[in-house]
Amino acid sequence: MKPHLRYGVGCLAVMALWCVLTVPAGAQDKEYTIKVLPPGGPAPRLPDGHPDLTGHWFPNGAGQGVSGRFGVDPAALRTFDPKVTPEEKPELQPWAVAKIKAMTPTELELSKSSVNCLPRGVPAIWLQNPYTTLMVHKPGLLVQLYEVLNNWRVIHLDGRPLPKDPEPFFHGNSTAHYEGDTLVVESIGFDDRTYIMPNGWFHSDELRVTERYSRPSMNYLIVEITVDDPKVLVKPWKSAPHRWTLGNGEVYEFYCTNNKELQELEKLREQELKGK
Amino acid sequence: MQAASGAAFKAMEGSMKILKGLGTAAMACGVFLLAAPSFAHHSFDAEFDGQNCKEFTGTLTKLDWQSPHPYFYMDIKDANGKVQNWSFQTYAPITLRRNGTERQVFIENIGKQVWVRGCIARNGKSNYAAAGTMKFPDGVLRQVGQLQN
Repeated sequence: MKPHLRYGVGCLAVMALWCVLTVPAGAQDKEYTIKVLPPGGPAPRLPDGHPDLTGHWFPNGAGQGVSGRFGVDPAALRTFDPKVTPEEKPELQPWAVAKIKAMTPTELELSKSSVNCLPRGVPAIWLQNPYTTLMVHKPGLLVQLYEVLNNWRVIHLDGRPLPKDPEPFFHGNSTAHYEGDTLVVESIGFDDRTYIMPNGWFHSDELRVTERYSRPSMNYLIVEITVDDPKVLVKPWKSAPHRWTLGNGEVYEFYCTNNKELQELEKLREQELKGK
Repeated sequence: MQAASGAAFKAMEGSMKILKGLGTAAMACGVFLLAAPSFAHHSFDAEFDGQNCKEFTGTLTKLDWQSPHPYFYMDIKDANGKVQNWSFQTYAPITLRRNGTERQVFIENIGKQVWVRGCIARNGKSNYAAAGTMKFPDGVLRQVGQLQN
C-alpha cells in the first residue's frame, strides 16, 4: 500500500474510533451545529386578525444560510421532507415532453434563469430559488422583496378582479383572498421566458398559478403552489408544502450582471452543434 | 502545475490540522465534515467536469467580486516550473458571505499562498476551474464552491 493510502486508512480508523468513543448512541442529532429551527410561538397577527407574513424568510429549515457550511443537519437543508410530504411529479403532455427532450444539455442550461439572469418569475421564485425573501405585510397589501436579482412584487389583497387581457409579466397578474388563515393568491398572464422548474418545464399562455401562504407559527412560512396549464399539463400540478424559515441579517444586493458562464456555455453549445 | 502530485497526502495532513483546530467530536466524524450542498444555482456538470478535479497550490493574485459568481486568480507553477495564471469560479457572493468567506478574506490574502481543490471546465478553456474547497494561510477549510467528488 502506498504511504499516503496507509496514512488515509489510519486516519479513518482513528476518526471512526473517536466517533464510537465520544459520541453516545442516539446523541448524533445533537452534534449538528446548524439545526432545524423550532416552530417558535404563535404567529403574529395583523390588526385585521390575519396572520402577519412579514419576515425575512430562508428557503431551508434552518433560518440561516446553509450552503457551503459545515455541520448542517440534513433535515435543515430542505423546504420539505419528501418522505413525509412527497411532491408529485408533473404530468406533461407528450408534445411538451418531446420539446424538452429535444434540448441539448447546454440549451437546457442556458434556459435557466440562474444562468441567463432573467427573473425567475412566479411560481419559480418559490420552487427554484436558493436566496431569501423579505416579506412586508399589512392589511390590504403584501410586498415580496426577493434577494435574487433584486426583484420585487406587490400583491394587493383587496380582491380586485384579474384582468381580462393580462399583460405578460414575470410575476404575473395577481388577485388574492383569504381562506381562513391562508392567503390565496391567484395569478395569470406570465412572460413566456419563465420556467416552472429549471429542468425545461416551460409554460403556455394559459398558465394559472395559485399560491397558498400560511404561517402556522412564528418561525415557519408554508408556501404551496398549484400550477394549472391545460396546454402543457395533463392535469394541474400541486407542490408539496414548502416550509421557509424565519431568519435575520441583511438582504443582500444581487444583480446578475456579469455572468461569464453565458460565454462559456455558448462555447459548449458551439461544440455540441459541431458534433451533431 | 503543482496540483495532483502528492496532493492527496497534503490534503490529509491539512484535514488533520483542521480537525485539531475544530476540536469537537462532531467535527471529527467525517460525516459532519461534509459541507452542506449549495442549492443548485445551476447545473455544475454542464460547465465543469466533476470527474476531473485537482488540487492547486499557488499565489492568490486577484479577485473579481461580482454577481452571479466571483472569480479569483492564482499563479500556479506547472510541471516544468513555469508559472501559469489560473482563474477559479466560486459560489455567489451572498452564499460566500453567509458561510463566513467575506470578500475581505480574499483581499487580505492577495499575494499569499493558498490551496484550492477545483474541477476543470468542460469547454477546453485553459487554466479555468470551479473552486470547491479552499484554504488561506489561516488553514481553515472553506467551502467556496460546489465539488462533485
